[in-house]
Amino acid sequence: MLTNNHISGALALAPLREQVLKRAEPGSRVVVNLSGVQKLSGLDAAALLRLVIEGKEKGIEVRFSGLSAEARQAFTGLDASLLEHAATPTESLSPIEEVGEQTLDLLATARRLLEMIGEITYWFFIAPWHGKGVKWERTGEQIVKIGLDGVPIVSFLSFLIGAVLALNAASQLRQFGASIYIANLVGVSMTREMAPLLTAIIAAGRSGSAITAELGTMVVSEEIDAMRTMALSPGRFLLLPRVLALLCAVPCLTVLSNLAGIFGGYWVGVIVLGLGSRNYLQQTSQALLISDLVTGMVKSTMFALLIGLVSCYRGFYVHGGAEGVGTNTTASVVTSIVLCILADAVFTTIFFYFD
Amino acid sequence: MTTERDSSPYVQVENLVARYGNRTILDGVSCSARRGEITVILGGSGSGKTTLLRHIVGLLTPAAGRVLIDGRDIHRASEEEQEAILRNVGMSFQGGALFNSMTLEENIALPIIEHAHANRETAYTLARMKLALVGLERAAQSLPAEISGGMKKRAAVARALALDPGLLLFDELSAGLDPVTARELDELVLRLKAQFDVAILVVTHELSSIQMIADRAIMLHAGKVLAAGTLDEVRSMDHPHVRAFFDRRPRSTVVQHGLLDALLVDGGDHGENPA
Ligand SMILES: Nc1ncnc2c1ncn2[C@@H]1O[C@H](COP(=O)(O)OP(=O)(O)O)[C@@H](O)[C@H]1O
Ligand SMILES: [Mg+2]
Repeated sequence: MLTNNHISGALALAPLREQVLKRAEPGSRVVVNLSGVQKLSGLDAAALLRLVIEGKEKGIEVRFSGLSAEARQAFTGLDASLLEHAATPTESLSPIEEVGEQTLDLLATARRLLEMIGEITYWFFIAPWHGKGVKWERTGEQIVKIGLDGVPIVSFLSFLIGAVLALNAASQLRQFGASIYIANLVGVSMTREMAPLLTAIIAAGRSGSAITAELGTMVVSEEIDAMRTMALSPGRFLLLPRVLALLCAVPCLTVLSNLAGIFGGYWVGVIVLGLGSRNYLQQTSQALLISDLVTGMVKSTMFALLIGLVSCYRGFYVHGGAEGVGTNTTASVVTSIVLCILADAVFTTIFFYFD
Repeated sequence: MTTERDSSPYVQVENLVARYGNRTILDGVSCSARRGEITVILGGSGSGKTTLLRHIVGLLTPAAGRVLIDGRDIHRASEEEQEAILRNVGMSFQGGALFNSMTLEENIALPIIEHAHANRETAYTLARMKLALVGLERAAQSLPAEISGGMKKRAAVARALALDPGLLLFDELSAGLDPVTARELDELVLRLKAQFDVAILVVTHELSSIQMIADRAIMLHAGKVLAAGTLDEVRSMDHPHVRAFFDRRPRSTVVQHGLLDALLVDGGDHGENPA
């Protein structure tokens, strides 16, 4: 308790803030004695209230004493909501309550996610039978945005990855005079693993983030609410087109990524290492099995769905205005990538045992 | 027919309780609005005016109580019924809430295409007519980002009119605008009342606009309806908060002092009578 840290004359707010927020223990109470302060400007009063609010966030209860009648006026001229925000007591939670709260949060998240999946499913499978068709035009726009615009970067990066895979393999395989097997390695790693994952990461970074930012901004500017009051379902007009577009564009980009990656390997094999062009292509087509391609496509579809759900969810449940859109956008990309790699690991493990 | 409609309110809010988490914002609010009348909702910032509107249009579900629009309970209606109710409701939000990626005419054509099953051409013609109604025919092809705040509010009104609703809700229509623009919006609201057979609910705290447009007023305070009735009835009430509002004493100092006291440990040096 830091009582009676007397402040005299002009209010030194910055040091006071420092002192309170840095030194006081969470859970403690700080009383700022203002009896030495004769005049308070509206700005000072607002800063003091902000200190109370900041303290509240850190679990420090900031209170005042010795407020003169004159200084009092500075507070009452302020926006009522600021004062109200400062004056509402913190509901401090016991550790058990906190765990309970977090569990509830988790449950709420799960429930909202399921609701969202339910809604998307409804608008795709059920509503069209009741005359409310899928918004193909909007879906098309999204496919163009996600798919077409992703072509250059996906092909460029996949080409590089294919080439890098080939070079790495070359240094090993050359020792055994087995350079031609570069074709196998590049072909199989691209189709089974690298292309789906690389495309997913690019899609999460480019399109997932864009979706979260766009939906989040619409939430913050009340556009989504406006849609609802017009009886236009955001699920039908915003979510489904985006998820469908990802489901269509990401596998297509993955095919492109396969081709570009194999071409990268080909380029290294033929131009740099001097393997025969016909040989290389023949070797590639022998190495690739339909199952490799199918595995890659299944993965890629799964990643697209994950990215779609995560980015829509993060966009839809934005808190805290424009700033919240920023944090959620970052979180959307990170969550998507983490989930894609996790899913990849699980999926690959399953295939390893059942293939 | 007309008389029956006039006698029963188009919107009826009954004992509405609104909560965010465990914070009660509205605690048993009842009010109503009739066709052909402008009902103004008054109250300090944070008194729950927006929350009330959001409950009326079904964006939020009440903890208790109900909202009847044209006799139908919006929160207990089936999905189709709710859609039918909402087709008869137009709302403009505090910030306009126009679709930022669409031009003004696209904004207005969207609900028309979806609900009136009009073809594109008809929908766009109708949209431009609505824009003309609010004096924005020249900005039909502008994006929301390209127009001023006052124009955004007017465009939002035009979009609220898209489906010729029986109920219009305007949240803080003239707030934050210069006096001339604010007045234009008030005149627009009056014109809508004269031209259409609608119930209009307006949230505002501009005295000048209340005086100009209100037929009836509802004043919210601390989660309750503090006063309700015709503008003259409400205006002449003796309750200190009502007086503070209409006489424009420094904004609800009574409340502010109360809140401030919660932050003091010694009660401070009370200026005996907070003016
Ligand atoms: N989504 C929300 N979650 C929690 N509290 C909210 C939310 N929206 C509004 N509130 C709180 O409810 C109270 C009433 O808000 P609101 O209806 O917007 O007031 P008004 O429109 O009269 O200014 C305010 O104290 C506000 O902080
Ligand atoms: Mg409001």
